[in-house]
Amino acid sequence: MITGIAWKNVWRNRSRSLIVIAAITVGVFAGVFTIAIMNSAVVQRIDAAVNEELSHIQINNRDFRSNGQADNVIPDYDSVLSVVSSTPGVKEATGRIIIKGMASTAAKSSGVEITGIDVEKEKQIMTLHSKLIEGTGSYFGSETRYNSAFIGEKLAKELNIIRFILTEEDFNDLASAGVPEELLNHLEPIRNQRFTSEKKFSSELKQLLTPAEQRKYMLQVKESAWSYREGSRIILTFLDINNVQTGAVFRVSGIFRTNNNMFEATSVFVPAEELRPLTGIPEGEFHRMIVRLDSDDLTDGVLKQLRSTLPGLEVLSWKDIQPDLAMMAGMMHLVYGIFMIIILAALAFGIVNTMLMAVLERTRELGMLAAIGMNKGRIFVMIMLESIFLSIVGGITGMIVGGTVIAATAEKGINLVKYADGFEAMGYSAHLYPSIDTGFFVMTAVMIVITGILSAVYPARKALKLNPVEAIRGEK
Amino acid sequence: MKDYQLAWRNLWRNRRRTIITAASVFFAVFFAMVMRSFQLGAYDRMFKNVIESYTGYLQLQEKDYLDEPELDNGFELTDSITGIVVSDPDVTAVVPRLESFALAAAGNRTQGVMVMGIDPTGEEKVSGISKRLVSFRLDSVAVARLKDENIPERTKSLLDIFLDESYAGYSRIMLDLGIHEKDSALVLPYLRKDASVVNNYISEDDSLGVILGSGLSGYLSAGLGDTIVLIGQGYHGVSAFGKYVVRGIVKLPAPDIDNAIIYMTIGAARELYGAPGMATSAVIRLKGNSDRDISLTSARLSGSIPGDLIIRPWQELNELLVNQMDADNKSGMIMIGILYLVIAFGVFGTVLMMLAERKREFGMLISVGMRKGKLARVVSLEMLFIGLIGVIAGVAASLPIIFLGNVHPIRFTGEYARMYEEYGFEPVMPTMLPDTYVLWQSVVVLIILLIAISFSIRKIYKIDVIKSMRS
Repeated sequence: MITGIAWKNVWRNRSRSLIVIAAITVGVFAGVFTIAIMNSAVVQRIDAAVNEELSHIQINNRDFRSNGQADNVIPDYDSVLSVVSSTPGVKEATGRIIIKGMASTAAKSSGVEITGIDVEKEKQIMTLHSKLIEGTGSYFGSETRYNSAFIGEKLAKELNIIRFILTEEDFNDLASAGVPEELLNHLEPIRNQRFTSEKKFSSELKQLLTPAEQRKYMLQVKESAWSYREGSRIILTFLDINNVQTGAVFRVSGIFRTNNNMFEATSVFVPAEELRPLTGIPEGEFHRMIVRLDSDDLTDGVLKQLRSTLPGLEVLSWKDIQPDLAMMAGMMHLVYGIFMIIILAALAFGIVNTMLMAVLERTRELGMLAAIGMNKGRIFVMIMLESIFLSIVGGITGMIVGGTVIAATAEKGINLVKYADGFEAMGYSAHLYPSIDTGFFVMTAVMIVITGILSAVYPARKALKLNPVEAIRGEK
Repeated sequence: MKDYQLAWRNLWRNRRRTIITAASVFFAVFFAMVMRSFQLGAYDRMFKNVIESYTGYLQLQEKDYLDEPELDNGFELTDSITGIVVSDPDVTAVVPRLESFALAAAGNRTQGVMVMGIDPTGEEKVSGISKRLVSFRLDSVAVARLKDENIPERTKSLLDIFLDESYAGYSRIMLDLGIHEKDSALVLPYLRKDASVVNNYISEDDSLGVILGSGLSGYLSAGLGDTIVLIGQGYHGVSAFGKYVVRGIVKLPAPDIDNAIIYMTIGAARELYGAPGMATSAVIRLKGNSDRDISLTSARLSGSIPGDLIIRPWQELNELLVNQMDADNKSGMIMIGILYLVIAFGVFGTVLMMLAERKREFGMLISVGMRKGKLARVVSLEMLFIGLIGVIAGVAASLPIIFLGNVHPIRFTGEYARMYEEYGFEPVMPTMLPDTYVLWQSVVVLIILLIAISFSIRKIYKIDVIKSMRS
């Protein structure tokens, strides 16, 4: 009964209630959507770390991380593999040879980590192979008499393997893609001119194009001028198992693109069997085993178990390897909670104000209710319910709108191209696909109800303090 | 009675509503001020760290060097060029540097490093490296010895977290180890006894000595007096190698640089890379470091230096950092935008209610002869007052926090400090002293109020006297 009355009361002053509801809707929507975007950055970073870079668990020789010498391999690899494979929760495991070295071309050189992998196994458990840039070859697909390497785009740019040239064909492509002719005329001076670095090309474009043209078409022009000759060669040099410097020519089989500049700039993947004769590491020996689990939730449990079954080895989860990321994952929900609390606190002012008005303008009516025998508790509950209804209606609408917008943008994502450099330097993608778990909506809903209750306390107390006789007498 | 007197009295007729509305503005302003000042303070600190310990505010470079930072894009720093730059009235010094990459080896560790050839006396004026020489280092020996000393348990338990950490002065080590002012007299003698490091700066004619960043020294496990070998590629492709002795270790506030840098005299670096007389950059020291000074000097110098050289301001030298901060800055502004949006709705709600509630009163006033214009003015003033109270109270309440945060910045310790450093940030959160951002809060509130005011003025002009009095 009281619930029904409270609900009807909410709609007695329709425009006033609607304003508060609209405020709550907008606030909750903005909060939910912003958090979904923030969340997507973190989730995508963790996904990339686990699926492309680290896997769930890594097992090393105890001394390998502090002393990366080539002979610090995992002792008795096969039995370790069988122990790991028979551990419940483990999906797959594979070995890696890891050597620090230098990658160079005639023009440039750069320090890298060379990872020797089991090409087929890695393809099953990691997703890096799918990050291949179209038109740059394949993931160890082609047969060559050279050794082959799979390298990051950033490294390829640093080694000047990727160049920027606007050929006839590029001009035609750009024209047919709807780029205005005037802009193409501006680009005329650099037709067929070769730029060895992206920066040089960009600074040239900045001189040739107007600011408006840059904003609109710069990326498209760059993407079109991006050029790479398949099968470029790089030289890898490193120390072998006897600490003797050695090296070989590797043909670039393909180039991958991730959102982590550091990883892209320092990683070279080559088939393990091509690295063995060069380094002198015997067949069946590896520095590191990467372990893939059935689900990320199992990481801590499996980690504990592996540590006890493999006491002589260093067993690390991705959280140990990237503690900053683990901490971020742990703190995420706290940050979102604080963000929502701030928004709801701001909203609470609006609700308190509205409810106070609602109580004060009904002084006479509340007095009457009290006079005809409605007890104070029920009046208190009635006011409370009105406030809760206001916040729930606004909150639910806000969450529905938020959820819908998240769903609508989740497919295509939001691309903050302008900030890509800054984001990717820290390993984050600038192309964000908003997402948030349902738990967050539940938490938000609970917080909204609490906000409704807290904001009603003061107005409801005011209502209780009314003296029925004076209230009825009081001028309307 | 004057309009503003009427308005002021009206405000206190419904004291509660005035206070709640002003309070909501107060909340937004207070929160936005504190948040902005922390955010801007952090950027400021971060830029200062990189600029003052590394890039400097202005640099003279060959024009391709920024895009392709390699020795071959260096330039010969002749006396005539130095003369041109120094003769500018705002320039106090020009300090040459020769920077390149090399592979450093110590024992059986190898690491890619940045080698920076500096002029030891000149460099003191721009980056002050000698002030950053490490005075304490918590290596395993020091930690083990300290644990046996008579020092508070709290400090002992923190020792393990900061194993292998280096400190240039007292303040940070005291914070990290939880040493309070009052205990300092007790604990510091032990620190000096067990963990202090005697460091040397390099002198002008030292052709063998190098100084390592503390992070790099940890990676290479190379301490004072150890020998390191550098191998790299010199000018025009000649091979470069040399053997050096570690004279000192510095702790730089920017971790990216601290983990990779080796300083030597510019003479030694020219020798190593086979680049006599060359420099890759020259840091220009100015009298004032405001954005205005920098752009004015930069414009003046650009006109007078030879054509293949260019003047780079710090924004261009730290493009990535500028970009990152820009993205972060936008996210902070979005957050504050949401907050103000919510507050704006609250203010509209109140205004709407006020108009509805006072319809009768307005009708009465108009019917007894008050002009609608005057009424509108009074109501507008009322709203402005409310906003003003909120803004002033918000700014006033946030100022103590901002000033306190500037003098005693929040420092993260333990795990959080490590996380910050992993990202390349110093784990300190100072606030930025009041600046234009204070003005912006007022502008935003004013805009919200103007919208509310224009809405209510329209309402007032539309009032139907008869109807409103009947209601």
